[in-house]
Amino acid sequence: MPKLMIDDRKIEVAPGVKVIAAAEQAGIVIPRFCYHPALGSVGACRLCAVKFLDGPVRGLQMSCMVEARDGMVISSTDDEAVDFRRFVIELLMRNHPHDCPVCDEGGYCLLQDETIAGGHAMRRSMGKKRTHRDQYIGELVQHEMNRCIQCYRCQRFYQDYCGYRDFGVMGSASRVYFGRYADGALENPFSGNLIDICPTGVLTDKPARFKGRRWDFQRAPSICIHCSLGCSITVNARYRELVRVEARRNDDINGHFICDRGRYGFAFANHPDRPRQARINGRDTSYEEAIQTTTQRLSEIARTLGPDSIACLSSSRAGVETQMSLKFLTRSQGWRQPGCFVDRSEQNSVTAAVGRLTPERVVSLGEIEKADLILVIGVDPILEAPMLALAMRQAQRAGAGIIILNPQPVSVPFAYDHRPISPDDLCSTLQKWTRSISSQTRTESHFVEKHEEYRGPETPSVPCPLPPVDSLLQNSRRPMIVCGTNIVGTAIIHAAADLARDIHSDCRFPGLFYVLPGPNAFGAAFASAGGKSFSDILPDIETGNIKALILVEADPIFQFPDQERVKNAVKQLDLLVVLDYVPSRSVGFAGQSLAEMVSPAPLHVVIPTLTHFETQASFINQEGRLQQTTPVHVNGLPMSQLTGGKHPPRKFRSDVPGAGARAAWQVLSELEAVLSSTPADSITFADIWYRIGLAWNISVENRTEIPGNLRILSTTVESEPMTEHYRDD
Amino acid sequence: MQILFQNRQPDRIASLEEYRNSGGYEALTLALKKYTRAEVQQLALDAVLLGRGGAGFPAGRKWMTVAESAPFPRYMVCNADEMEPGTFKDRVLIHTDPHQIIEGMIIVGYSVLAEKGIVFIRTSYENAARIMEQEIVRAKEAGFLGKNILGSGFSMEIAVHRSAGRYICGENTAQMRAIEGKRANPTQPPPYATEKGIWGLPTVTHNVETLACIPHILRHGPEWFKSLAATPTAAGTKLYCVSGRVNRPGCFELPMGTRLSEIIEDHAGGMQEGYQFKACLPGGASTRFLPKSFYDIEMDFDAMKQAGHRLGTGSIIVFDHKTCLVAATLNMIEFFARESCGWCTPCREGLPYIREILSRIESGEGCNDDIPQLRRMCRYLCNTYCALAPGAVSPVESLLTYFEDDVQEHIRQRKCPFK
Amino acid sequence: MIPDDLKETLQRQIAATDHPREQVMDVVFILQDRFGYLSDPLLEEVAALVGMTPLEVEEIATFYEFIYRKPVGRHVIHVCDGVVCWMLEYQSVLDYLRSKLGIDYGQTTDDGRFTLLPTCCLGYCDRAPAMMIDRKIYGRLTPERIDEILGKLR
Ligand SMILES: Cc1cc2nc3c(=O)[nH]c(=O)nc-3n(C[C@H](O)[C@H](O)[C@H](O)COP(=O)(O)O)c2cc1C
Ligand code: SF4
Ligand code: SF4
Ligand code: SF4
Ligand code: FES
Repeated sequence: MPKLMIDDRKIEVAPGVKVIAAAEQAGIVIPRFCYHPALGSVGACRLCAVKFLDGPVRGLQMSCMVEARDGMVISSTDDEAVDFRRFVIELLMRNHPHDCPVCDEGGYCLLQDETIAGGHAMRRSMGKKRTHRDQYIGELVQHEMNRCIQCYRCQRFYQDYCGYRDFGVMGSASRVYFGRYADGALENPFSGNLIDICPTGVLTDKPARFKGRRWDFQRAPSICIHCSLGCSITVNARYRELVRVEARRNDDINGHFICDRGRYGFAFANHPDRPRQARINGRDTSYEEAIQTTTQRLSEIARTLGPDSIACLSSSRAGVETQMSLKFLTRSQGWRQPGCFVDRSEQNSVTAAVGRLTPERVVSLGEIEKADLILVIGVDPILEAPMLALAMRQAQRAGAGIIILNPQPVSVPFAYDHRPISPDDLCSTLQKWTRSISSQTRTESHFVEKHEEYRGPETPSVPCPLPPVDSLLQNSRRPMIVCGTNIVGTAIIHAAADLARDIHSDCRFPGLFYVLPGPNAFGAAFASAGGKSFSDILPDIETGNIKALILVEADPIFQFPDQERVKNAVKQLDLLVVLDYVPSRSVGFAGQSLAEMVSPAPLHVVIPTLTHFETQASFINQEGRLQQTTPVHVNGLPMSQLTGGKHPPRKFRSDVPGAGARAAWQVLSELEAVLSSTPADSITFADIWYRIGLAWNISVENRTEIPGNLRILSTTVESEPMTEHYRDD
Repeated sequence: MQILFQNRQPDRIASLEEYRNSGGYEALTLALKKYTRAEVQQLALDAVLLGRGGAGFPAGRKWMTVAESAPFPRYMVCNADEMEPGTFKDRVLIHTDPHQIIEGMIIVGYSVLAEKGIVFIRTSYENAARIMEQEIVRAKEAGFLGKNILGSGFSMEIAVHRSAGRYICGENTAQMRAIEGKRANPTQPPPYATEKGIWGLPTVTHNVETLACIPHILRHGPEWFKSLAATPTAAGTKLYCVSGRVNRPGCFELPMGTRLSEIIEDHAGGMQEGYQFKACLPGGASTRFLPKSFYDIEMDFDAMKQAGHRLGTGSIIVFDHKTCLVAATLNMIEFFARESCGWCTPCREGLPYIREILSRIESGEGCNDDIPQLRRMCRYLCNTYCALAPGAVSPVESLLTYFEDDVQEHIRQRKCPFK
Repeated sequence: MIPDDLKETLQRQIAATDHPREQVMDVVFILQDRFGYLSDPLLEEVAALVGMTPLEVEEIATFYEFIYRKPVGRHVIHVCDGVVCWMLEYQSVLDYLRSKLGIDYGQTTDDGRFTLLPTCCLGYCDRAPAMMIDRKIYGRLTPERIDEILGKLR
């Protein structure tokens, strides 16, 4: 462990760490442009110069290019180093357009920060500035080349880190140009990260263009809910409108980046048709009336037809609080247990996967990058969990072998070894490998495979003959098994877990990584334990055994394949209650006027709820990690929808227009309170977590702020037995 | 004494027969049959063969850094990019006796077990490229290339790679990228080229002239090679190019360490009528101006270094007293600014800035602040990613050191005093 | 755009190397010699031949001096502006060419015969002033010699 001194501070770092990173560990941030922890050092910008005063290296050197070594004495404040850095800034600003007032990077701009910090202000050069033509690079990222400082971050991210080949660097000398061959949308599904990574205003957020400065925004740390990985994001809102999403660093999961789906997929929160007002039979009403009417009808039904005639369904996109509140409600009233899945096989798959994750085997996305062999079963990473593809690419760049078991090749940005195994044989093949591995002893050689240079997402994989997978697994040091839950059935999910269990490895157990079908599918598995999926209760609705249905952020009318059948079934209900924050099919159905409906008139109630941008909400990602969002703004009609895009009015009012929604768990808790005749106003977020803590037998220290490293696994928390509903299918 | 130029004829290249008659390919036979690979390396080291591409790194030492366990195939690159302004020795050498370069490549190839040879040639040397292509075929027909050369078990093929034209492609790491079909940005070690070069495989690069020395060293021994030089610490002969305001510009093979005055006066025919020697660049445009006070300097690596200068490629560009050195420096900075690879800030942005200031001075719009600013830039441009920029500022820095009066005069008179 | 027989030759040439990418500049030069300049359709065909994306070919093509991405005349005159030629009559050579052809740097004569471009030191300093046309070098230029050289090029 090298010991060195930076700016009179003694530090000790791991071998191989660059001085710039070592300094950061000591709290000293050396200026930089081209260096980025995820992209590494390339010594291009020359801004990170420091003076080496003593030790194995002497003089002015780039701190990103020199490894920290024993006995180094380094000064980042040395006069020459400071003057050199000022010089570098002066050079970079020589061609800068100085158009900061109209640059969306303002507030995010590393160039502004370094320019001021570096002490450069006056442009001494009298020459003309270089100019470039901007390109159209799609609807997501805006391109303004004149602001470029040629740090090469974008090109390195795009080509090296992500493996896409339609954006890069052209030209030479002082006319290097970062862009595409021709105008056109970027092909990289991670292209939005260019915005975060570009230290200047060349690559900025296009949908958010000119919508405000960083300091105008309300900002809050949050979690992406577009797939089960649960990447960390920062959310920006202004005037009650979500404006942009940025990646938030989380080394356990997404590192520095997120996918474009996660970055741009927030339109639902601003949707003009979002339910904002409670409705009864198509008529706007007050929240209080909606609660009252609903509880009355529920009590009636329970009294006359029995508690079993009331069914509740939540979803894998609902937060833990919502899912569990629904569970508490049904329990307190003796109703059927709630379901969280529309489809039975999905519930089975998720339940199976959640049941098989153990503390020894579970791995985070961040650890996937450290694998030396990844076996991928039944997942299309780019579609189902985009950041997983990026993590696997990093593993592959570091030398890992990747084996994909799929009938067809999948489109991923890295070279892999494709084993076309038919779905019928998949399970037996996995079982065969498990048997052969269990009977073998480990040999000392470890997995080394020569990979062809990556030639693009469509490239067919490495040619045969391929070494047998079982021996590769047996001999790898950090094998990881990635398994989907979407197209594969429970048998394969179990076979994958068995395989992971039986690979013995010197260092640790092999990793098991499931991809689940929703941001809180994991929580849904707990919440739906003992409950049935929608497809299983549908017959009961059709036969009239179920007369009341409560849909909580669930949309079976859209998701169930036979929509006519669902509609006909729900028409027979006495009561349909839909709680949601999106204008879903189910909301639309329940929100329409009932004029032409049969009598006795059923009761349809819509109660608007809050998104996780407007309330605290917790989600358990596919590795069991419990994560929480922070509200970024209050719920209400976005100003732009109120004013038709005009300047916000200077009239002040005390209420927020369109703010009729509440968190789903609040609504559910209130329903429970009214039905149980207990006071409702006392139910807080902390109360909910107190109850969840009791239910799972976990202690949550601070019940309003859940730590990001808490894993909720079926083996570590107490829950009802999760049984898979096998049927002969 | 003519060694590399022993077969030099006016307007004709030496044939394979002529080369063989003068002892050509004997060294290869010796290397393959008599010496171990380690012995070949040791011979080059003992001969103090310093790289002629400009950096002067000991050739034998470079080969020794190729690890025995290093992967195959390994590469041997002949650097015939020669884009250093004022330099044309490699061109003359290829047009004189191409087989000694090929033989040198095979011997180096054998010493590091590199089976893939590549001759990297600049665009304007199309003629030389064709010569090399043709003579490689002849060498192969004669059994010096191809499979199992002279029954030794060692095989080697040589291909010619034509550059599409950039000075930076002469820098060996950038050149490797160019050969791979990538943008020719240099890369800094680690890893070293001899560990991970072209396609991540060990690569040894040598200048044409360095390679041409090798057969002679093997045949006549290190002591003989050292004795060729004019100065005690130097070794071998040197191809000095002389251009500019002299009577007989050309390329001359002379003992390493021959005095500058002798090269200019005895070999290049002295200054042209009516012109006086003002300064020269001793080793191409990326070396420092040598004013008249250095007229008698011994032109070898050590003596130049001791004098605070660099031998570079040993290509002497002679400037006369009527030529404006500010304008000449501006011309060279224009070149370097155009040829920067664009990777690092000080070079990419600093060279155009220097060009801006120099052209202002040259056109009479300079101010007194320009000189300190230029000095600062010259100092800081030595902190770049590769050696291009430090070379590029050598003329500027030495202009300010030796000819500051000329620069001041431009500023004072608000015009170029030479116009 | 590339005729089939040429395409086959190129494909063979590319297949003979371990890394198709290594051949990219060779292929570009062959096509440029044949078609004058590397047009977009040609560049895209090159990309397909060597298994690169058009962007990747463009990254390299725009890096170098002697790849023409815009139309040029049948002969491209590169006048050496290296420091030695500059000292020895570069300016008068350029002036002569400019007035003779009626074009400046970057331009092409109306009859499409010549394009005029500068180039850095050609490595023929012993024969300054020099120029390069179609990768052939002409040194010790005088107005008469220029007339003679250009006269032979149609
Ligand atoms: C900017 C730059 C340009 C260079 N150009 C050439 C060149 O044209 N020819 C050459 O042989 N070496 C050139 N070199 C030196 C090479 O990098 C390398 O040191 C040399 O080819 C090694 O061969 P040697 O050991 O035989 O000298 C250049 C170096 C730099 C920094
Ligand atoms: S576009 Fe941005 S990231 Fe790319 S080189 Fe320019 S400044 Fe750097
Ligand atoms: S990978 Fe999944 S969680 Fe991460 S940003 Fe993309 S959609 Fe969101
Ligand atoms: S000094 Fe920097 S910009 Fe200049 S050629 Fe070297 S790497 Fe490229
Ligand atoms: S951060 Fe070190 S050179 Fe750019």
